[in-house]
Amino acid sequence: MLISVEGLGYTYAPSTPLARTALRGVDLEIRQGERVGILGPTGSGKSTLAQLIAGLLRPTSGHVLLDGVAAHARTADARLRRLKVGMAFQYPEHQIFEQTVPREVAFGPRNLGLNDAEVEARVAWALDIVGLDPVEMADRVPLTLSGGEMRRLALAGILAMRPPVLILDEPTANLDPRGRQELLTRVLTWQAETELTLIVISHNLDDLARLAERVVLLVAGQVAADGPAREVLSDRPLLEDASFDVPPPVALLQALRQSGWAVATNRLLAEEAATEIAQVWSSTGGMV
Amino acid sequence: MSKKQALGNQALESQGARPFIELRALTHAYALEGGGEVRALQGIDLTIERGEFVALVGPNGSGKSTLVRHLNGLLLPTSGQVWVDGLLTAHPSSLWKIRERVGMVFQNPENQFVASTVEEDVAFGPENLGLPPDELRRRVDDALKLVGLTEYATHPPHMLSGGQKQRTAIAGALATRPACIILDEPTSMLDPLGRRRTLETLRSLNQDQGITILLVTQSMDEATAAERMLVMVRGRVVSDGTPAEVFGQGQRLREWGLGLPSALEIADRLRERGLNLPAGLLTVEQLASALC
Repeated sequence: MLISVEGLGYTYAPSTPLARTALRGVDLEIRQGERVGILGPTGSGKSTLAQLIAGLLRPTSGHVLLDGVAAHARTADARLRRLKVGMAFQYPEHQIFEQTVPREVAFGPRNLGLNDAEVEARVAWALDIVGLDPVEMADRVPLTLSGGEMRRLALAGILAMRPPVLILDEPTANLDPRGRQELLTRVLTWQAETELTLIVISHNLDDLARLAERVVLLVAGQVAADGPAREVLSDRPLLEDASFDVPPPVALLQALRQSGWAVATNRLLAEEAATEIAQVWSSTGGMV
Repeated sequence: MSKKQALGNQALESQGARPFIELRALTHAYALEGGGEVRALQGIDLTIERGEFVALVGPNGSGKSTLVRHLNGLLLPTSGQVWVDGLLTAHPSSLWKIRERVGMVFQNPENQFVASTVEEDVAFGPENLGLPPDELRRRVDDALKLVGLTEYATHPPHMLSGGQKQRTAIAGALATRPACIILDEPTSMLDPLGRRRTLETLRSLNQDQGITILLVTQSMDEATAAERMLVMVRGRVVSDGTPAEVFGQGQRLREWGLGLPSALEIADRLRERGLNLPAGLLTVEQLASALC
């Protein structure tokens, strides 16, 4: 599915004293199979943009088109397209309501009209991707789970619908480091197998470095940059203007470069930075 | 020992020079849907002294939030004891005294606001202590000053940025003049700037005001800012030491499902590739100067 965002603007509580413009004049095109990160400080309009793409809000100006049809339209065509967009919200407790963990995950696939066997298979598959143990979780009440477990559960509920477009809003906040690593790896594997469109909203630069090939930087509701993740996430002046620091590996490489190391500075991940440093180090015979 | 003697001993104990927070064999169990229970805390012994800055880390579901909710009596032990400043949380008459001493700040700032302006929100706690108006005013002003939000006193809380919201919540906790503030993943929803400001605020409250800080976090980089680090796994405290000591146990950390701060991770990978680096490089700055 092709997502076209054209001249998109959104104002909360328009024509009231509390009116607040969250987005203005946003143009974006996202093709099937792309992995796009949306980065921006708190209040930059990231979550609003996601909700507009999912057809949950009606634009104040401009359009969001899903394969040419307005995302929020009340037509059968638009509804079918909206069903293809799965969105995991920033606050998982906003979307969780069932009595047990398996029922929570089964809710979506059951509503798709799938048979019991298929629903059960999807529940098992989705719990596995998010790293929740189906046996341990069989009788757990969702609202008694820990913060990180709840986030995993909310995501499992969306994954079980197997949407061709997946929007993740801060997917790893509250996840422990191993859980985060495993989740990112499994989502990426699934993305590669299925040509999933992945849209990740985050202010965690390391998440974006791992998940996104392209990064859109939003500042005050406008697109401040849109380009390859490697370029956007290593552009110190651009990021600092938006109150972000470069990721720690980039900060290290830039510090080394300033003191004379001939290292490339656009290596976003710890392992990439280590490889880069080690290569330069051995090419100089261990003398820098 | 007679009942009277036992009570007498307890009263005596509460006066003595004891740790500020003391957990004795603390266990907590949650009931499951359809019977059975999950043991979230499995016999924890722990003490925290006045003025410490402690980071608490651990995998999801390891019992971190359950543990901290015991420290101001939001949860009571299934067995074992929690003492705060010589007061036992299980005594209903101690609860309000304990909550004056231990303030709590949660993850999602949106769920914590009760009033329509920042200063009214901050006043909510001390107001309930029945303070005279001028004392209340002073405490609210002091608390807002300490977190750097004086100029936002009359703003509606929901119009603030995420970091400002969390600092408002911290000011609310401060206004009751607690000896200790506990924060349960307070920065997980914040952008890096909000994170940095919140951490700077905590550091200055600890260093300048002597307030005891217990910070629950999933960020290993954040944990390096503490002077003491606790690791919880499956309802137990499995490691307790300085960040350098705790992160020095590389392989065990991985077994616990925890990561390393970015600088340590890069340093480890560089050592694997033959570079000779000293131990205990916790920050990017330290690693950069070791390499230059």
